[in-house]
Order: sequence, then C-alpha cells, then structure tokens
Amino acid sequence: TNSSANSDIRTVFDDPDNFNVKHPLMNHWTLWFTKPPSGKGDNWNELLKEVISFDSVEEFWGIYNNITPTSELALKSDYHLFKKGVRPEWEDVQNKHGGKWAFQFKEKKSINIDALWLHVMLAAIGENLEDEDDNEVMGVVVNVRRGFYRIGLWTRTVGKALPGDQGKGRSTDQGKEVLLKIGKRFKQSLQLKESEAVEFSGHTDSAHSGSTRAKAKFVA
Amino acid sequence: ETNKSVEPPQPTAGMQALKSARFLQVKNDAINYPEGIKSPNPALNLGGKSKGRQYDKDFLLQFQDVFKEKPSMDWDSKLKETVGDGSESARPQSAR
Repeated sequence: TNSSANSDIRTVFDDPDNFNVKHPLMNHWTLWFTKPPSGKGDNWNELLKEVISFDSVEEFWGIYNNITPTSELALKSDYHLFKKGVRPEWEDVQNKHGGKWAFQFKEKKSINIDALWLHVMLAAIGENLEDEDDNEVMGVVVNVRRGFYRIGLWTRTVGKALPGDQGKGRSTDQGKEVLLKIGKRFKQSLQLKESEAVEFSGHTDSAHSGSTRAKAKFVA
Repeated sequence: ETNKSVEPPQPTAGMQALKSARFLQVKNDAINYPEGIKSPNPALNLGGKSKGRQYDKDFLLQFQDVFKEKPSMDWDSKLKETVGDGSESARPQSAR
C-alpha cells in the first residue's frame, strides 16, 4: 500500500539529521557577490565573486542561514542570484539583449531589506516570477548604496524577438505582455503598494545613457 | 594559531544527509509531511506542464528554522574569500 512505501521517505521536517529526500528546484542557481571597490583601481572581475551554486530547497536555506544578511553589507555591495551559467553582467551573451525590472527603496531605515531580498529570492527559486515557457528570468539582484537599496530582476529580452529565436519568437505585443506579467509578479513579491511603480529598462539603454538616467520603457 | 594540529572537523549529520539525499519526485512521491507542515501549493504543481518544481513562499519559509547546516566544512573561509567578513570595508553604520 501507499503508506508502507511512504515510510521510507524522510524529509528534513521528519528528521533534519537523517533525511533521505530533498526538494529539487526547477533550475540550478548561482549566488554571486560584488565586493565594494577598495578605491585602488581594482577591476570588476576581481570584485565580482561566485559564491556557490545549488539546486535544492534545503541547500538554499543552508546557504541563506549562514551568509551575511544584506542589511550588514558595506555600501556598494551587491548580491546576485542568477541561473547557473549566466554571469550577472550586461556583457554576458544571455543578457546583452535583455533588461531589468527594478525598484529603489529610498527609506533605508523604514524597510526590512533582508525580508524583501529573501522574498524575491524565494519567488525566483520557487518559479513564481514567470511561467514555464516564458524563458525570461535570468536572475535577481540587490544593490546596497548610500542613499537607497535597489532590487532588480533581469530578463533575457526587452520584449523583442532575438536573432536566435526564429520561429518560436513572440510578437512584440506578446513579448511586452510577458514582460509586464513578470513585472507585476516581481512587484507582488516585493509587496509594494499599487502606487509604487517598478520600472523596466533595457541594459543597452542604461549602458548608453551615461550619466543621465535611462528612460523606463515599461512601468508596472 | 596556524601551527596547532587539530583533528580535521567532521561533516555534521545534516551535511551528510543533504549530500546523500535523493531528489524527491514531487509529482510521483506521495509524501505525508508531518502534522503542521503545509504541502507545496498544489495549485502551482498540478497545473499544466509544470514538472512539479514550483513552490510558494509559505511552503519555502517553513524550511528556514529547520535546516541551518553550513553548505560545507570550509564554508567560513570560503565566505571570507568571497563576501568577506565586513572588517576590511566600512559598514553602513560606520560610514564617515
């Protein structure tokens, strides 16, 4: 019967020292960290460090429970949680046609950045940000800055079909719809009020805008 | 302190369990979670083509106080190399 078969399955809830099954994630994820620059002309490659990769719920919590909380990081630090194989940089082939949804929390003292970042990571690894065929979410990021915290969600496209996607590409309207849906779910995961807008911009727009702020393409 | 000879620390039971545990087949393994533990949101997993690897926030948060093992025996030194211990750079509170 079912019950006798089930007695061989021990989850971490049954016995944290002797469980024999773990909960698989849909994707393999890598956590990255950007160290604050030392001011001695260090290059970006030395500042961006791969911390660890994981593919189960249990591993995620082992890491989360043993890593510096965002609220204790130095200014100019970032955590990046990206699908394994994607570097959290605009230049990565999988990012260069993409963009990001982002929200800036300017009242640093009045928000719980640790809870917000945790909830966004859970939405990412639990696959609540996109539907299975969307193939848009590349990763999520938190930036610690002097005047604000910013949480972002990077997408593979800006709503347009990519050169390699012939045949299965979405129309521009469909592409925009997928991005807006993801933006709304991102906003939900941050528990923002309806009046607080998350903004989307393409990476190349940001790169070329220089000191002027990139114009948001979409708002959710 | 580097000269001390100490027994190499052994992995904890929880670390070993994580390493040897097999992946649950979320769709095929009928699991009975202990009383008081919520199952993954069935609405997320039964819908359409999902491989049963979607989890809602409330399900995932239940693990927070249950699994606290470090990812590896050398985690502290690895963390120091990557994230640092905060001592070499100003923390937000101590910014000049």
